[in-house]
Amino acid sequence: MLHVENLKVTVEDRLVLDGVTLEVREGEVHVLLGPNGVGKTTLLMAIMGVPGYRIVSGRLFFNGEDITNLDMEERAKKGIGIAFQKMPPVRGISLRTMGEIILRTHGVDDLSLLENAAHRLDCFYLLSREVGVGFSGGEAKRAEIFQLLLQRPLFSMVDEPESGVDLDNIALVGKALKELFEREQVRTKRRSGLVITHTGYILDYLNADQGHVLMNGRIVCSGNPRDLFEDIRTKGYNECLRCER
Amino acid sequence: MSAVGDILQTIKEKAEGALAKKAAFGPDVDLSRFYECSPQERIESLDEVSSQLKEAALYAGVELENPGAGTYLQVDRSAVYERVLKPFEGKLEIMSVRRALEVYPEIVSKYWWKLIPVDTDKYTAFAELCFTEGYFIRVFAHQKVDIPLQACLLISEKSRVQSVHNVVILEEGAEANIITGCASVKGSEEGVHIGVSEFYLERGSRLTFTMIHNWGEQFHVRPRTAIRMEDDAFYSSTYVLMKPVASLQTFPQAFLEGENANAQFQSIIFAKGHSHIDIGSTLLLKAAGCRGNSISRVCAVDQAEVYTRGRLISYHDDTQAHLECKGILFSPGAKIISIPELEVHGAPKARLSHEAAVGPLEEETINYLRARGLKKEEALSLLTRGFLSIDIPGIPSLLKTYIEEIIKVTSRDIM
Repeated sequence: MLHVENLKVTVEDRLVLDGVTLEVREGEVHVLLGPNGVGKTTLLMAIMGVPGYRIVSGRLFFNGEDITNLDMEERAKKGIGIAFQKMPPVRGISLRTMGEIILRTHGVDDLSLLENAAHRLDCFYLLSREVGVGFSGGEAKRAEIFQLLLQRPLFSMVDEPESGVDLDNIALVGKALKELFEREQVRTKRRSGLVITHTGYILDYLNADQGHVLMNGRIVCSGNPRDLFEDIRTKGYNECLRCER
Repeated sequence: MSAVGDILQTIKEKAEGALAKKAAFGPDVDLSRFYECSPQERIESLDEVSSQLKEAALYAGVELENPGAGTYLQVDRSAVYERVLKPFEGKLEIMSVRRALEVYPEIVSKYWWKLIPVDTDKYTAFAELCFTEGYFIRVFAHQKVDIPLQACLLISEKSRVQSVHNVVILEEGAEANIITGCASVKGSEEGVHIGVSEFYLERGSRLTFTMIHNWGEQFHVRPRTAIRMEDDAFYSSTYVLMKPVASLQTFPQAFLEGENANAQFQSIIFAKGHSHIDIGSTLLLKAAGCRGNSISRVCAVDQAEVYTRGRLISYHDDTQAHLECKGILFSPGAKIISIPELEVHGAPKARLSHEAAVGPLEEETINYLRARGLKKEEALSLLTRGFLSIDIPGIPSLLKTYIEEIIKVTSRDIM
């Protein structure tokens, strides 16, 4: 579904990704691990096409189509979505309006989906509030996943779903991600994703297919996500560098 | 000469002395370049209004097809239609101010130029000396008028000055919503509109006043407004300008004289082209428990220049008011100048505050919407609409929806 080929990305003229190659197949969910500042968020932003994250070489393919030079809204329309790590305040636009816009933009007329999704993510009381204005960490994460649930992308990227979230909220977010990625479906799984995690809590819900460790702008290790996470927890990220050698 | 005659003579003499007096703010307009408006014939039914006039009224927020509790329509210098809907007869009156002066000569001594000195500047002086009507609205004591009243002032001719004087009285405990729409029928022609408005809100009355302007790019607009508020009176004013104008300058004053009076001003401005806009409000908080807000949202594009002023003046310890000016510049040639003033006179416990911010829409927020599939232009339009949508306290939900719809329609082609 998503093929990242030797991607090099600069941010404000600084090379952050130095040749990332990654393949996520239909129905697969991958997790991305790595210490702070190695470029995990940059990879998600570059895949989404956010301005300021400049691809200097390499290609991005989505369902076989080269999307390297597409605008971010075109990528969104093709089925790529993202839950940002930080939700900016969107003044004057309520979460309900935002939800309605997302549904309409993606050709869905049934607005009842909105309230159903809001109930499942305990976001109903947030619907009348301005997006991201005064939201707590947990509220922001739930509101991000809520929007992804409405958008129903074929490929969803989620940047640190557990950060700033208490255990109750992690359970809610985890269940919603399970629904987003159709993890409970066995043969009909079509949706894929890439999730950044620091704590690994989300792995309890996701049953991810592959994990990758990003360091020094490149993927240095890939494998079973739980094994990778356990190794990192006991030996630290430096072991990944040694292992690479 | 009668007592009323004496008063009017004194007013006239004062006005004559101020005909050359420039206004404190805004570019000076040479009124001698313009002609007086012509009279127009009265009509008996709104069905007689031409589709061109109806359309101009609609763009200024007045739906003549759907009359309010009371309707006043002025074209050029004539009040062509005044009517109170049957269910509201005896609850309110609406008529041309000229007729009101004939029917109630005491207006002169009680309400005529009592809040705004006639010699404030050349525009107030002109409004007195070349007076071209205006409306008189009175809502009787304890009457709650839940359907909005509509007043519409149109100019259909080229190079004219329309100088109206409006008087609005809400008697004790009365409640009303007034929508005033002002527009030029031939949008591209030049002209001047001077509007003097004096509002008297008696004890416990509530007025929400919405004014929507839709003038042409060569129009100069000089509203002069003041409000006197008694105990427990509530006033909410929303001013909306979404179309280009040559120049607009207004600085209404609310005199909160009674205890617990509460005044709320909201200005929503989208300045385009070469518009020169100078807008603000003054709140004078004179008694215990007085509260107020003055909030403006300004978007400026092209070569537009906008001054947003706000002046809070407190004379009593137990008073509280807030001033908020927020602006977005969309073009390097546009300007927004925010000028807040807070004054406290011998009231050390008074609480006055202000907040001003001028800057662009955040790139991060635009990208956030694009990531959901919105085109950049759609994201900008949506964010602009969100920015201009103010949560207006005390406004009926119907009116709120109506203002939002105007912002939505007119901001659709912003980018």
